[in-house]
Amino acid sequence: MVVSDSGASPQSICHALPAGIRLSLTIITILIAGLIPLEHWPAQGLLLALVFVGLSLAGVTMRYLFRRLGLFLPLLLVFGLSVPVTHSDHAAWNWMISLWLRCTVSFMAGLWLIHVLPFRELLTTLRRWRCPLVLVAMLGFMYRYTFILWDELRRLRNARAARDFGGGPWWRSWSINSQMIGLLLLRAMERAERTHRAMLARGWDGSVRFLDGDG
Amino acid sequence: MATPEQAAIELRQLSFRYPNGRLALDSIQCAIAGSERLAIVGPSGAGKSTLLMHLNGLLPAPSISADDDAQVFVQGQAVTRKRLHEVRRQVGFLFQDPDDQLFCPTVRDDVAFGPLNLGLDRAEVIARVESGLAAVGMADCSARNPSELSTGERKRVCLAGILACQPSILVLDEPTSNLDPRARRQLLQILKAFSGTLIVATHDLDFVLDLCSRVLVLESGKVQADGNTERILSDPLIMDRHGLEVPWRLRSPARRASEG
Repeated sequence: MVVSDSGASPQSICHALPAGIRLSLTIITILIAGLIPLEHWPAQGLLLALVFVGLSLAGVTMRYLFRRLGLFLPLLLVFGLSVPVTHSDHAAWNWMISLWLRCTVSFMAGLWLIHVLPFRELLTTLRRWRCPLVLVAMLGFMYRYTFILWDELRRLRNARAARDFGGGPWWRSWSINSQMIGLLLLRAMERAERTHRAMLARGWDGSVRFLDGDG
Repeated sequence: MATPEQAAIELRQLSFRYPNGRLALDSIQCAIAGSERLAIVGPSGAGKSTLLMHLNGLLPAPSISADDDAQVFVQGQAVTRKRLHEVRRQVGFLFQDPDDQLFCPTVRDDVAFGPLNLGLDRAEVIARVESGLAAVGMADCSARNPSELSTGERKRVCLAGILACQPSILVLDEPTSNLDPRARRQLLQILKAFSGTLIVATHDLDFVLDLCSRVLVLESGKVQADGNTERILSDPLIMDRHGLEVPWRLRSPARRASEG
C-alpha cells in the first residue's frame, strides 16, 4: 500500500504528543523548509537532521524510509535539474540543491505525520481547527478510495500478467500500462457515479455532516 | 398478493429507457404488501437493478415533479422530486458492490452517515450506530477502516448503515454475490429477522427459497411470471424459458437421477 497508517508504532514518544501538536509540527517544518533563505546551508542541513531524528523517534525504519524516498527522489532529481538547464548562472545550481533539500524535508515531514497520526485523528483535528468541512470530507473520500483504486490497479496488473507471456517488444508494455491507467480512470469515474447514488440513497442532500464535530 | 390500497410499494405501468435508447423496463405493474418478501429473478440484463433503483428514487424520480406522472408509489405516496427524502427515509438500498456504499474512512462514520442525514441528534445517532452494528454482529469493528474487512463483513456493515436509518422497506441488489457460505448464512439470518418489506434481486435461487414467499421473473424489462416462490421456481418451463434453472432441492427425483 502506498498510503497507509497501519504501520505506525503507537509506543513511540511522538505518538504521545497531542494530535494538534503533531499536525502543527509538520506544517511548521514544511513552512520553515520553504522560508529558509537560499545558501543558508547549515540551517537547511539542521532542519533535515531534525526531521531525520523525528522519524527515528517515531520508529520509522531506514528500510521503509529509503524505499519511500526511492519513489520520490528520481522525480525530484529530474525536476531539480530543470533549473540549471533553463538558467545558466551560478545561482541556478544553488537553487537546484536548495529545491532538492526543501522538497526532501517536506516529504519526510509528511512521512512522519503519516506514521504518528492515524488518518481519522487527522480529520478530527482538521475539523477542530475549523478547516472547511467539504475539504475534510474530500480528504476522507480520498483516503478511502485510495485503497479501493489500489486494489483495482492490482487486479488489472494481475489480469495483464496472466496473459502476458513475455513476448513482444519493450515498448508494448508501455502501451499496455498507459491503457491500464486510462481504464483505471474510467473505472474510478464509474465508481464515483455509483458512490454518489449510494450517498443519495441514504439521504445525502449536499451538506457535509460528521459524527465527531459540529458539522 | 397485495391490493394497491394495502401496498407498501406499487408500480403502475413503470417503463424506463436509458439515454442510449435501450428499453430497460416495459410497463411493469406490481403491488408489494408491507412485510412481504419478494425476490426479483431473471437473466443478466433483465432490468432487475434498474427496477430496484426506481424504488429508491435513484432513477427518473428527479425528473418527475407531478403526481400524475409518477409510476412508483411508496406507502401510497407518489415518488416525485419533492418527496425523494421522505421516500429514501422509508426505503433502504443495499448496493451490489459494498465498496460503492462504504465511502467513509471508518465503519462507525459510515454507519452514522444515514442517521446524520436524517437530522438526528448526536446521542440518537450514536445509539443507532451501535444498534445497527450489533444487529449485524459487527459491534467490535466500529473503528476499523472498511478496506481491512472481508467482503462478507463489508456487506454486513453496509446493511448496518441501512438498518441504522430504520427503513420500513429494504431493497437488496445481489446481496449474496461474492459471499462465502458462512457469510451468506449470516446475511440470511439478519434478513430473516427484518420485519418490514423486503425486495431482493438475485441469481441465488436457494437464497430466494430460504427467504422469500413471492417471486417475480423479469426478462427484457417485462414481468414474465409472478407468484408463489416454490410454484415458480419448481416450474421447469418458466425457468428454462427465462434462462434460469430449477434449484436442486426443487427438482423432481426423475430429473435429479437423469442429471446425476
